[in-house]
Amino acid sequence: MRAAEERKGVVPAARRRDQFPVGMRVLAVDDDPVCLKVLETLLLRCQYHVTTTNQAAIALKMLRENRDMFDLVISDVHMPDMDGFKLLELVGLEMDLPVIMLSVNGETKTVLKGITHGACDYLLKPVRIEELRNIWQHVIRRKFSTRDRANLDFYEECNKPPNADSDHVHGHVTCGSPDQSGRPSKKRKEYCSEEEDEGEVNTQDIDDPSAPKKPRVVWSVELHRKFVAAVNQLGIDNLATTYMKYRLYLKRLSAVASQQVSIVAALGGRDPFLHMGGFEGLQGYQAFTSSAALSSFTPHGLLNSPRNNPAALGTQGVPASKSIQTMSGSHTLNHSINDANKYHLSLPGNQKGNLGQGLATSLGQTQMQQKWIHEETDDLSTILSGNGLSNGMSGTLQSVTSSPLLPQELAECTQAKIVSQPSIRTSSVSSEHIEGAVGVSSGLLESRVSQQSTIPLSGFSTNGLLIHGSFNNTCANKLGGTSSSCAPARSSNDLMVARDTKGGASSFGGAMLLPPDTEQKYLNFGGGNGLKQKFDDRTADSLFDPKFVWSSVPSSQLASNIGAHHAMSQRWNNSSSNSSNIGARMIGQATSSGSTVIPQMKTDFLVSGDMSMPKNASDLSIPCSFDGLLNSIVKVEKDDVTFSDDLGCGDFYSLGACI
Amino acid sequence: MSLERIVSRVTSNQSRKLAGIAKYRGYLDEQFCQVEDLQDEASPNFVEEVVTLFFKDSGRLMSNIEQALEKYPRDFNRWDTYMQQLKGSCSSIGASRMKNECMSFRDSCGQGNVEGCMRSFQKVKREHAVLRQKLESYFQLLRQAGPAGAATRPVM
Repeated sequence: MRAAEERKGVVPAARRRDQFPVGMRVLAVDDDPVCLKVLETLLLRCQYHVTTTNQAAIALKMLRENRDMFDLVISDVHMPDMDGFKLLELVGLEMDLPVIMLSVNGETKTVLKGITHGACDYLLKPVRIEELRNIWQHVIRRKFSTRDRANLDFYEECNKPPNADSDHVHGHVTCGSPDQSGRPSKKRKEYCSEEEDEGEVNTQDIDDPSAPKKPRVVWSVELHRKFVAAVNQLGIDNLATTYMKYRLYLKRLSAVASQQVSIVAALGGRDPFLHMGGFEGLQGYQAFTSSAALSSFTPHGLLNSPRNNPAALGTQGVPASKSIQTMSGSHTLNHSINDANKYHLSLPGNQKGNLGQGLATSLGQTQMQQKWIHEETDDLSTILSGNGLSNGMSGTLQSVTSSPLLPQELAECTQAKIVSQPSIRTSSVSSEHIEGAVGVSSGLLESRVSQQSTIPLSGFSTNGLLIHGSFNNTCANKLGGTSSSCAPARSSNDLMVARDTKGGASSFGGAMLLPPDTEQKYLNFGGGNGLKQKFDDRTADSLFDPKFVWSSVPSSQLASNIGAHHAMSQRWNNSSSNSSNIGARMIGQATSSGSTVIPQMKTDFLVSGDMSMPKNASDLSIPCSFDGLLNSIVKVEKDDVTFSDDLGCGDFYSLGACI
Repeated sequence: MSLERIVSRVTSNQSRKLAGIAKYRGYLDEQFCQVEDLQDEASPNFVEEVVTLFFKDSGRLMSNIEQALEKYPRDFNRWDTYMQQLKGSCSSIGASRMKNECMSFRDSCGQGNVEGCMRSFQKVKREHAVLRQKLESYFQLLRQAGPAGAATRPVM
């Protein structure tokens, strides 16, 4: 009789395997004979194959002799000869078997201890049969993790360039990898199809707490798309929170707290994601509302400062309304260009009216970034000028920014913001970021990695474009419509890049785009330093190129701005941060087409960024001829709550004055 | 217990109803029903085996506690550890009243209340004795009813 057979544990191996979970081999360990007997019978009733022992030492011995003898271990927590947690650890490490803890003690701290020690489940006595009927899932789950790991290893062997990793990490884990577990491959295949997780960031790895460090994943276009899709699906508003929740959920499932490894692997980015995921940290951004943070934002700081942690970004002051924003901040910076459209799409929630606001929030995080972007990119000028912006970009921006952004406005915005707080910029940047984040970030990341040298500029342009867009929102009203003129990157390479970035932002060299913080923190893309240097190298000359920047800004104004710009540039130069240099470069590059006003603005921003410009623009000696702009900017800021908090409108005025 | 219930118990073939009676009185809970459910043709005496095992093991644990109370005065950690084992056994067979007394003993340990521990332990012993009586009667009746004696189930 089958029941009798099973009770005796005599289940034909073949049948057992084929009928999993029937015949799953369980090792039960408990010093309490009553409990053990009841447990054994319950397990038999579930049609598992059961082996029992009341001593942990014997259990270990059995396992060590032949780890393939069992599929799952259930162990009591309190045992006289060995602590259940200890057994748990050993089994997990040596045999990599799923272990379920049992205890009459259901205190949270004890359960937590079990989880942190690697238990895949924690059951309270008396155990009910219903609970035992599902324990086979832990076996499957672990198999998948193993499989994934195996796949990854496999892929690593056939190694390809780093970029390739993202693909394979991302979702190409298949059942085809070598069957390392020794289990019949058939069993694997059975579950393979269930496990494929193609459409999203590969989180499978997260499940496996003991997975070896996964290969770095470099953002690829593919990954980027998926990321964008995920963000779009989740919505910017909730992305970070949702993701965090998911992460916490995975943590609970995960036996060991080596999630960082798996998470990193899953996300594919070591640094970027580690930092990002720091989404936890990002959420902190929301807390930031101090404009001071912005002021502290210095290009230098962005690039170099050790604050390259998301927190740093957050400190920028713009409250990160959403983690996504922070995310986007870091990411978007890079991608802003490309995904201007995406941004628009992806930021549905944020788009309320005031892009700036949305940006602001995101800026909070990305403020650094934005500032950086702004600074670096003379894009502002381009943005303002609106010339350079590729139509696409402009369009995107527009879409984002509901109202067309007049170059002037942009200029104003940027200028105003530049001084005290690149908030405007950031807002624009943030918008960029936000938008970019979704789509661009990935692109940026890529680009960063791949094209450091070129990226900066493009990054700027993109940013510029985006910024442009963002400004549009904020400033559009004010300026009324030179948004088109804000065409960023008109002729400048940046602009070009921006457009190009649409496609993939790769050119952005993400490096630039990412705020210095981003760079450092998140990516190793070119490393922030790298970018900076690039900028330095590149734009040394172009820094003061009046052409840059505010192409759309009235030349007269621009001119004056430019002058100020130069002054600012000087200041930048003084500042040690590269970011300022970058900014200068950006400016120069961004506005090949010409309006010079913006560049100055940018420099201002940059300067402020990196010079820790005091909120009061008064420090800036830049004569500001853009009172109008400032006004609009300030106004924009006011509309933009976040901005105002951070930016300190007053600064703008002063900035304007400076310019 | 109303007559109807007794009759239904008697006429019912499900011993779990009897356990339900005990549960009604609080001595045994749902877990005991589950233990009963595990009894089948393959293990016709499962419940009795488990119960026998319980009393044997719990007797050992209780004497450990008794010794510890004497030998290790105020050693609440030790007392608590022993009592936790006993509590585990109780919960495995569904001895709810006894389990509750175990829990109050542990509470006293947590409070460092020696007097409370002593009192609780006495209660644990009392519940243990009562449960033993009841289950012995239960099995006696089951045996008297014979293997097919579904009609007459002992009323606890």
